[in-house]
Order: sequence, then structure tokens, then C-alpha cells
Amino acid sequence: MSSKKRRSIFEIIDEYFENLSEWAERFREELIEKPTWNNRTCTIEPLRNIMVTPTEVIITVDLPYAEENEIRVEPIGSDLIEISAKMKRKIRFDEFGMTQYEGEFKTLQCQTRIPVPVYTDKIEANFKKGILEIHLPRKHREEIPIE
Amino acid sequence: MSEKVRIIETKRVPHGAVMLFGFPDVGLVGVIAASHLISELSLTEVAHMDSKLLPPLIVLHKGLPHSPVRIFGNHDTLLAVSETAISADTIYPVMHALIDWGRNTDVKMMISMSGIPIQDRQNVEELKVFAAASNSEILKMVQDKGVQVLKEGYMVGPQAIMMQHCANTDVPAIALLAQCFFNYPDPEAAAELLKELANISEIKADVSKLLEKGEEIRLKARDVMRRTQHEMSKMKKTQEFDIPLYVS
Repeated sequence: MSSKKRRSIFEIIDEYFENLSEWAERFREELIEKPTWNNRTCTIEPLRNIMVTPTEVIITVDLPYAEENEIRVEPIGSDLIEISAKMKRKIRFDEFGMTQYEGEFKTLQCQTRIPVPVYTDKIEANFKKGILEIHLPRKHREEIPIE
Repeated sequence: MSEKVRIIETKRVPHGAVMLFGFPDVGLVGVIAASHLISELSLTEVAHMDSKLLPPLIVLHKGLPHSPVRIFGNHDTLLAVSETAISADTIYPVMHALIDWGRNTDVKMMISMSGIPIQDRQNVEELKVFAAASNSEILKMVQDKGVQVLKEGYMVGPQAIMMQHCANTDVPAIALLAQCFFNYPDPEAAAELLKELANISEIKADVSKLLEKGEEIRLKARDVMRRTQHEMSKMKKTQEFDIPLYVS
């Protein structure tokens, strides 16, 4: 005879949320546990942030050493933006005191996925104090009337 | 002191000093300020932390191993700094051990250096520095020096634990918080904080080199910032933006 106890709906929901939170943690770990540089492509991945407001999506990117007129913002498909910026000078590993790696970096580069539909043809961007700020107007679907 | 966390002294430790804290937090303000003070004031390592609660890592400097949490000092200043983000699970014993160790060396005051994030930081020209204190006398002292007081709100992270533990154990303490980016290293904010530190204490450092090296610091600090962001999220750091509901 099976001794397996029948689980309540609350236990099932609890388990679902535990699994979901474990998955989210694993996803976050995967994102963080990779180098932020690539010496094959001579690129460094900059820090970035994304904010969704009711009217637009605002992406900011920290671009130290970026040459202002060498910053490129390029939509790749409908939900991905690639940002690259040539640096004012090449940065070598030994400038960080690291002698175990070789290579030099010329470009800051990253890709950012946009979580909601936007007009990628209406991008506006500005660069101030080393921070690139990108504005993408949101595409709104049909609104549901409230009765 | 917690048995799980040991502070190992490696040099003579001054008594009656002011003890500063620079831990990874928003904008890495405290760590950047600490790093600048170490070089400007020629502070040397006097003690380090040993604990199984810390991540299994050492920091190599000039080929030699160091604890990620170290205490630097000179004749009248002590400075506790961490080169790695401290996880939410271990921040209590780590901070309590440092504060209890500081009490045993008769520190006259503890000052936490950190940041307070603001939106649209890149559009702000003049950064403000706020303070909170462990008791009303210290609060009056900072107010008399012209520092704005953080009157209402939540504080999350190492400085929150420091303030609470210092208040509980009657150690005079101040949390200095410079307006800064939430998740980008902010050397300008660290410079503003150090100016205010010079205003409220005898610890004075020229910040011109810090500002000159701003871009270099921002590039170097990316990885520590990224990991700090991860730990801040686990600590629910964004609660600092919340409007408090006080029960008086």
C-alpha cells in the first residue's frame, strides 16, 4: 500500500512558488557568473539599467572612457537593443594589476532585451556625465474599457 | 564578539580612534571613499577578518593573500573596508563583530560612509549629503555643522546594522549618505561624502585625485558593483525608496 500523503492545494502552491524562486535565483546566477569582458572581441560589458514607465522604456548605460561621438545604439529586431561605444583609449589588463590575462579593450558593448513592445524607430538618446540614456516610446495595445 | 567571526590584529591598533566603515552598497560610495582615504592618508592594514561566513575567496595584492574584509589605520583613524559584497545572510555577524572589536579598542565614534540613491542622478549637479545618528547629541552635533539630517525613511544594509548596534551598545555613531547612482559606481558622490566627513571630523583628504580618476574607478568597479547589486536585491535595498508608515 502506498504511504504517499495527498497534498493540499496550499502545499502545491507553496512548492510552485519555491520552484519559481529557485529558477529566478538560478537565472540571476547565470547572468552574473560570466566575465564582463571578452578579449576575442576586445570588448568590455558596461553596467546598465532598464526602467519601464507608463509611456516609455528608459535604458541607461554607464560608459566610462566612451568617446561621445562614437556611441552607437542599434535595434536588433523588435525587442533587443545593442549599444556600443569606442573608448577614448585602449585599456589593458595590466592597468588593473592583472598579469594572469593578456589583451586590451577598445570598445564597451552590450545588448539589452526590452520587456514590453516599443517603437524602435523612435529612439532618442543623450549622453551626460558618462551615462547614456535611451528613451523608447511604448506601443500600447488596445485598452480594456472599465465599466 | 561572535565566535563565528574573528578579527585578527596584525599591527598595533590605536585606542580612542574614529572608526570608519566603507562597505559595498549603492554607488559603491563607501568603498570608493575608503579606498581613497587609504591612499591619501597612507593608512596601513592593522587587522583583518577571518570567518567561514565570508565567501570562500581571498584578495591577492602583489601576489600575497588578504582577507576581503580588512581594517586599516593610523594613529587616530580606523577604517573597516570590504572588497567584496557581503551577503544578506552574513551581514549581521560581520558588522556586529567589527563594531564589538571597535568597542574593545575604545573608539570614540563610528562613521559609516555610504550613499542614498536618487533618480536621474546624471542630471543632478550638486549632490547633497545626509546624516543620521545613533543618539540625539550626535544628531545635534551634525546639524550644528550644517549637515542635512535624514529625518524619516528606511535604511537598509551595513549602515543600518551599524546604527542599530551602536545605538543598542551606546557607541556614538553617524551614517553619512551621499546622493548617488543606485547601481553605477559613483566617485563624485564619494568625493562629496569625503568633503562632509572633513566637515564633521578631523579626517580630511584632498578629493581632487579621486575626481580626476573618476572614469578609471567606474571602469574598475563594474564587477564589484554588479555583485553588490545582486546582494542589495536580496537585502530588499529598494525599501529605502518606500514611504514609511510610522506608528507613533
